[in-house]
Amino acid sequence: MTTPAIDLKDVSLRLGEGPSSVHVLKGVSLSVERGKSTAIVGPSGSGKSTLLMVIAGLERVDGGSVRIAGERIDQLTEDAIAAFRGRMIGIVFQSFHLIPNMTALENVAVPLELAGHPEPFGVAEKELEAVGLKERLTHYPGELSGGEQQRVAIARALAPEPAIMIADEPTGNLDQATGRQISDLLFSTARERGTTLVLVTHDPTLASRCDRQVAMRSGRIETAPEAVVAG
Amino acid sequence: MPTSEAAIEERSLPAERLKGGREGIALALRFALREMRGGLSGFFVFLACIALGVAAIGGVNSVARSISSAVESQGQELLGADIRFELNQREADASELAWLSSLGQVAVSANMRSMARLPDGSDQALVEAKAVDGAYPLYGELVTQPALSYEALFGPKDGSYGAAAPSLLLERLHLSIGDSVMLGGQAFQIRAELVTEPDLVSESFGFAPRLLASLEGLKASGLVQPGSLVEHAYKIRLENGADDDRLQALRDEAGERFPNAGWSIRTRANAAPALSSNIERFSQFLTLVGLTALVVGGVGVANAVRAYLDGKRSVIATFKSLGASGRFVVTIYLFQILLISLLGIAAGLVLAALMPFAASSLLSSVLPVAAQPGFYPNALALAAVFGILTTLVFALLPLGRAREVPATALFREMGIETRRWPRPVYAGAAAAIAAILALLAVLNAEERGIAAIFVAAAIAAFLVLRGVGWGVQALARCAPRVRSTALRLAIGNIHRPGALTPSVVLSLGLGLTLVASLALIDGNLRRQISSNLPEIAPNFFFVDIQPAEAEAFSRLVEQYAPNGELTRVPMLRGRITALNGVDTSKITPPPEGAWVLRGDRGITYSATKPVNATLTAGEWWPEDYSGEPLVSFTAQEGRELGLELGDTITVNVLGRSVTARIASFRQVEWETLSMNFVMVFSPNTFAGAPHAWLATLTDASATDQEDARLLNAVTRTFPTITTVRVKDALDVVNRLVGQLAVAIRAAAAVALIASVLVLSGALAAGNRARIHDAVVLKTLGATRRTLINAFALEYLLIGLATAIFALVAGGTAAWYVVSRIMNLPWSFLPEVAISTIVIALVLTVGFGLIGTWRVLGHKAAPILRNL
Repeated sequence: MTTPAIDLKDVSLRLGEGPSSVHVLKGVSLSVERGKSTAIVGPSGSGKSTLLMVIAGLERVDGGSVRIAGERIDQLTEDAIAAFRGRMIGIVFQSFHLIPNMTALENVAVPLELAGHPEPFGVAEKELEAVGLKERLTHYPGELSGGEQQRVAIARALAPEPAIMIADEPTGNLDQATGRQISDLLFSTARERGTTLVLVTHDPTLASRCDRQVAMRSGRIETAPEAVVAG
Repeated sequence: MPTSEAAIEERSLPAERLKGGREGIALALRFALREMRGGLSGFFVFLACIALGVAAIGGVNSVARSISSAVESQGQELLGADIRFELNQREADASELAWLSSLGQVAVSANMRSMARLPDGSDQALVEAKAVDGAYPLYGELVTQPALSYEALFGPKDGSYGAAAPSLLLERLHLSIGDSVMLGGQAFQIRAELVTEPDLVSESFGFAPRLLASLEGLKASGLVQPGSLVEHAYKIRLENGADDDRLQALRDEAGERFPNAGWSIRTRANAAPALSSNIERFSQFLTLVGLTALVVGGVGVANAVRAYLDGKRSVIATFKSLGASGRFVVTIYLFQILLISLLGIAAGLVLAALMPFAASSLLSSVLPVAAQPGFYPNALALAAVFGILTTLVFALLPLGRAREVPATALFREMGIETRRWPRPVYAGAAAAIAAILALLAVLNAEERGIAAIFVAAAIAAFLVLRGVGWGVQALARCAPRVRSTALRLAIGNIHRPGALTPSVVLSLGLGLTLVASLALIDGNLRRQISSNLPEIAPNFFFVDIQPAEAEAFSRLVEQYAPNGELTRVPMLRGRITALNGVDTSKITPPPEGAWVLRGDRGITYSATKPVNATLTAGEWWPEDYSGEPLVSFTAQEGRELGLELGDTITVNVLGRSVTARIASFRQVEWETLSMNFVMVFSPNTFAGAPHAWLATLTDASATDQEDARLLNAVTRTFPTITTVRVKDALDVVNRLVGQLAVAIRAAAAVALIASVLVLSGALAAGNRARIHDAVVLKTLGATRRTLINAFALEYLLIGLATAIFALVAGGTAAWYVVSRIMNLPWSFLPEVAISTIVIALVLTVGFGLIGTWRVLGHKAAPILRNL
C-alpha cells in the first residue's frame, strides 16, 4: 500500500483564547489517497476551511498528527513548513489573492522564485499558457476579470508542480459559466498531473465531481473517511 | 517513519536559502521593488518627516562647518599673522623683541577699553581702542572710507593724531569725518570711516565700537600707565612662510626661551578659538534639537509603516502561503521602508547641502567671519546615519508585527485571530538601535553631560507621553455617562480601539514640550538680563583707576552719587600657567571649566573676605598674613578643574610667575553682577607690583539722568578711567541672546513642523476610519452639527491634555536648565503657558476639523453598499 497523500489522525484544534475560544476541530481523522480528488462539504462554521488550513500547514494543531506525503508537518518549524508548502502544496483561494502590484507572469513566478527555481519566468509563462492566458502575461490583477484572476491563481498553485492542491471555494466568487470553466480547469489539470486535489465548497455540483465527499458538522467528520462517493 | 531525513533536509533547503545569503537578499529586493510599483501614496508624512529631520541636522552641521572652515582657511587674515604673541599690561622686553624680530616681520598693536569723549565734554562713549604701527595689517586688507595711507590716516597734524571709527561710533557721538574726539588727554581727528578690520575676530570680544589709531597716538593719550588693562600684540609674518609643524616648534621654542613671559600664543591654525568653540557648541545644541525633530518624525514613520503594512496583510499572507518564511517577508518590507527612507534622506540632504549657501548671506550680519559655503560630506553623512537609525527604530516594531500575520488571514475574516505581538528580537533590535542613536548623539556632542541629559529627557518624554495617551484613554473609559450626545460621542472616540489619542498626544506632545521648554528658558534668560536686573547689581564699573587718582576719584563719585555705594579693589590681570606644577597646556579641562584656563583673568588681592563671598571650604588668611602666597578660588570653577584645598596654582602676572596655595573655596553669585574674581590672593603675593584699581558704584535709586551726569563728570575729570555702564553692557548681551534665540527658535520650529506633519498624518489616517462611523451615525439620525460638535470636543480634549503635559514636562526641563545648570532664579511665564495651549488647540482642533469636514461630505450610499 502506498503512503497516503494526506493522513490526519485525531486532529483537534481550538481557536482564540480564554472564554471566547472555539473548539473548531474535534478529533478529525482523514486519509486521502494520492491522485484522488476530495470535496469537503458542510454548513458554515463546521470547520471545513480550518481543516484545509491544517492540511496546508497554515494552522498548527493542538492534538493529533498531520502527515502530508508522509511528512509529519505538525512537527516542523514555521519556516520549514513554509518551504515545504511552497514545493508540495498549491493553494487556490476564493478571493484569488493575487499580489496587486505584480503582473500575472510575476504572480505565477513567485512560488518558483521562492523555491529557488532556475527558470521561474519560463515555467510561469508555460503555466499561464496552459490556463489560456498567454495574451495576459503582463497584465496586472486589476486589469483581469474574476475568471482570469482565478486562472492566474490556479497557474500559480500548479507552477511548482505540487503533490497536493487545495482549493477554498474556488468558484465562490464567480458566475456560473465562469465557475464551470474554472472547475473544468482544476479537475483536468489535476488529473493530467496526478495531483491530489482537496477542495472546500458549498456547491453540490462541484462537490459531486470529486472522487469523494467528506461532510463536516460541528468540527467533526460525519461521513465515514472510507466512504467514497461516485463522482 | 516513512520520510527520510534527507527528504526533510531537501525540502527545508529553500527556507534556509531564504533566511539569508546573497541570493535570498537579492530576491527580497526584487520582490520589494515589484511591490513598490503602486507608488508612494501614504508615505508623504514619512518622507517629509525624515527629510525635515535630516535637513535640520545636516544643515546645521554644514553651516557650522562652513564657518569653521572659513576660520581655518582664512587663519592668516583673521589672526593678521602667522603667529601672534599677546602680552598683558606690559610690552615685550628687549630680548623678547629681538627674538620676535628674528622670526620675520613684526606688526605691533595695543588694545584697550577706554572712553572717547567729545572735546567739549558734552558726550562720551566706551570704545575698544586699538593702536597699530605702520606694518599693520600683515595679512588681509584694512578698508577705510576714504582709503588713506598709514601716515594720512593716523599721523599727527595740527596737534591731533588721526583715527578711524566705524559708523556705529560716528552715529553714537554724532561725528563726521574731520571731527575730533578725545582719548585720554589726546585729541584724535576722525579721518576715515572704518569699514573692514581684517583681524577683528581674533581680538577680544567687542563690547563697544572700535577706535583705530596709531601706537604713537595711544602713547600720547597717556592711557597706558603701569597696571593699565592694555593688551600688546606682536603679530609676525614668518619669512619664507611656515608649515604647521614649524609654528608648533616656534610655540615650544618661545616657552623654552622665555618661560616667564606669560604670553598667550596663537597661530593661524587657531585664529579665533573662542568663536570656533562657540560655533561648535551651538551647532551641537541645534543638532540635538534637530534630532528631536527627527524623533518626533519617527512617530510619523511608525504610523506610516503600520498603516502601510496593515494594508499589505493579504499580500503578506499570500507570500507566506506560497512558501515564504516570516523572515523573508520582513526582509521584503524592510527593503521597501529603507528605500523610502533613503528617498527622504536624499531630499533632506539636498536641502542640507544648500543650507550653507542660503545661510552665508544671513549670517554675514551677525558673524565677524564670512562663512565659506561648500559641500560638507561629513556633516551630511552624520545626518544620513541619524535618518537611517531613526527609521529603523520606529519601523522595526510594525515590521515585527507584520511578520506575525498568519497565512490563515486569507481564509477567514471571522475575527477570532488575536493581534499578535512582535517577537522579542524585534523589540530588542529596536531598543538596541535606539541606544546606538542616543549614544551617537551623546558622542557627537562636546558637552556630553548636557547631551546625555537631553537624550534622557527626550526618551523620558517619549515614554511618559505614551503613558499620558493611555491615561487619557483610561480616564475617558471611566468617565460617567454624560447627557450631551456630542460629548458622549467625543469621550467614546477618545477611548475606543483605534482612537487617535495615543498618536496625537505623542506626536504633538514631543514637539510642544520642546517648544515650551525652549521658550521658558529663553524667557527666563531675557528676564534675568533685562527686566529683572538684580537689586544689588552695580550701576557702573570703573576700570584703570591709577593709584594717584584713586582718592580724588572717590570724592568725585561721592559728590555726584551721595547715596551710592562705591567699592574699590586692586585689579591685575594674570594667566594661570600651571596647576599643581603641571603646565596648563598639558591639562584638558572639562568644557564648562575651560574658560578659566583660557586667556587672562582679572585677579585681585584682599586682606579680608569680600562681603558678598561665602567660604565653602578652608579659611581666610589673617589680616596681617605674611607667609607663602595663598589664594581663594571660586568653588564651582575649582570643582570643575578638580582642584582641592592645598593645591597650588601658578599665575603669570606682569611677566612674573607666582605660585600660591589654595587656602579656601568661595561660593560666588555671578548673577549679582557684582565685582567677583575667580582668584583672590593674599595681599603679600603681589606686594610692590604696580597695579590699577577697579571700582563699582551701586546706587539703586539713581535715575538714568543721574547716571549720565556721573558718567560725564568722571570721563571729563579722569580721561584715562574707563567707565562701563552695566545697563548698556547688558543691552549688548541681550542683543546677542536675542540673535541666539532666533536660531534656537528656528530649530525648535523644525521640531514643531515635524509634530504638525505627524499630527496631520495621524488625523488623516484616523479620518479614513471615521468616514464609516460618520455615515452610520448619519443614517441613524445624527445631524452634521452633532458630529462636528463631537469631533471638535474630542480634538479639544486631546489637545488640552497634550498642552498640559507639554507645559508640565517643558516647565520641568526649563526649570532644571535655568535653576540647576545656569544657576539663575526661575519663574514660570504665563504668556508661554497660554501660547502653548493656544498652539495645541489650534493645531488639533484646526487640523481635526479640516479632515472632519471631508468626512461629513461623504455620501452615505457608496459606503453603505460596501458594508
